[in-house]
Amino acid sequence: MKRFDVAVVGGGLVGCAAAYYLSKAGATVLLLEQGDVNREASGRNAGSLHFQLEYRLIRYGEDQAAQFAQIIPLSLVAIDDWSGLEKELQADLELEMGGGLILAETPADVAILEKRQALQERYNLPTKLVSATEVRRMAPYLSDTVVAAGYCPHEGHANPRLVTPAFARMAQASGAELHGRTRVSALLRDGSEWRVQFQSIESRRVGEVACRAVLNAAGAWAAEIAAMAHLHLPLFAVPLLMNVLERSSPLIPHLVQHTSERLTVKQVSAGNVLIGGGWPARFPTCDTGMDTHRRPRPVLQNVVANLAVASRLVPALRDRHLIRTWTGTTGVTSDQMPLLGEVPEAPGFYVAAGGAAFTHGPTYARLISELIVDGRTSQSIELYSPSRFSHVNNFMASV
Amino acid sequence: MSRRIIENVSRPQPVDISVNGETVIAYEGESVAAAVIAAGTIIMSRDSSGRYRGPFCNMGVCFDCMVDVEEPDAPPGATGRVRACLTPVRAGLRIRVPVPISDKPISDEPGQNG
Repeated sequence: MKRFDVAVVGGGLVGCAAAYYLSKAGATVLLLEQGDVNREASGRNAGSLHFQLEYRLIRYGEDQAAQFAQIIPLSLVAIDDWSGLEKELQADLELEMGGGLILAETPADVAILEKRQALQERYNLPTKLVSATEVRRMAPYLSDTVVAAGYCPHEGHANPRLVTPAFARMAQASGAELHGRTRVSALLRDGSEWRVQFQSIESRRVGEVACRAVLNAAGAWAAEIAAMAHLHLPLFAVPLLMNVLERSSPLIPHLVQHTSERLTVKQVSAGNVLIGGGWPARFPTCDTGMDTHRRPRPVLQNVVANLAVASRLVPALRDRHLIRTWTGTTGVTSDQMPLLGEVPEAPGFYVAAGGAAFTHGPTYARLISELIVDGRTSQSIELYSPSRFSHVNNFMASV
Repeated sequence: MSRRIIENVSRPQPVDISVNGETVIAYEGESVAAAVIAAGTIIMSRDSSGRYRGPFCNMGVCFDCMVDVEEPDAPPGATGRVRACLTPVRAGLRIRVPVPISDKPISDEPGQNG
């Protein structure tokens, strides 16, 4: 039986980046992807790099927001990781880190911005509140309804269709084996090792390898992969909805978000404006409820509402045509924080999933690779460890 | 270059439209895309690196046939952008495409189609 140091399950951003960092550190790596590299959320999200606390993290009250603020130390590392990524990967990722604005339109919005700012200052995230006058000077394309904004100079975006393939190329150049169209069929503990069984989707050929560690980087489906190791992970597949407007001349140099509404707006290097912000789409239904393995369907009224918020804040968008709406599937954990670390109930079984896995993906991958290779990380990831959900695996012996 | 089918086709009276300032004829019921092609060019837009694009899907999906139009009753300069394949022509419509119409506008004389 062939042996590898690490079997990585999932060929998205986290899996491909981990395959790269692991092989760069000298580990032998086999990556298994059931579909094609970058085909799911890693390639279908809108490419935001958001380091300020997003609306989804502050909308559930102050106590929860204070909990979510514990993600900021990871964001600080991610800012550095992204800043050096094009050089590291020797690739154009259409990376722009020209700053991000979270807009306020009402006194209630401003109060939320101030609380967010206090949380961000506590963790030394470089952000500031800017006045209406200053917003207009920085971003004359915004509506007069904007009365203040939170600003982070490092926010921006990258092209999701370029990032993961760049990691995949570098992983292969470093010696990692990447297998697409290959589905994991069993994850079995064998003493201090893991046996990974898999099957090619086209040829139905089966294979089995032995490895020291398994890295679950299956994103939205990480809970299903964990179940193969007889473990629960509280991670749920959720649909993404994005919209893209026709190409037009440069207008928006920032990542634009709203304090109390679902919104992200950015203009990519080709000139198209991408509009998202977490408006719901719907999974197709099936016998057991919803089918998270099939493509979610856009919800028309949410597309319209999303575009309405965007064109209210950026009035020039009213003249630009929507050319496409698309959906994707990503994973959210029960506490919105990432799952990043070794599962205590299953030694050698690591997970890196959930959270803002595009913004933080390269950082998850780099740190989890350090943990797997060296047994420790250069930056503490204790707060994100799956050990916080040990109670759900209390009954779930993986042996 | 494309030509209108002439034989055994009856059309309504032609209307005048303009493409890049040149007056050409079109027939009610035609799409802007058909009228522009008949006027002499298939080029309607550019891609992100500046290369020319023409109608690709002809059913409103690809957006490669987006052209600037001025409605006949609109004040000068009040342009809109439409998908040429989905937009019917009407008398007086002013259309702009990225290149001059180099070919001679299509006449109705039979025998030119080749």
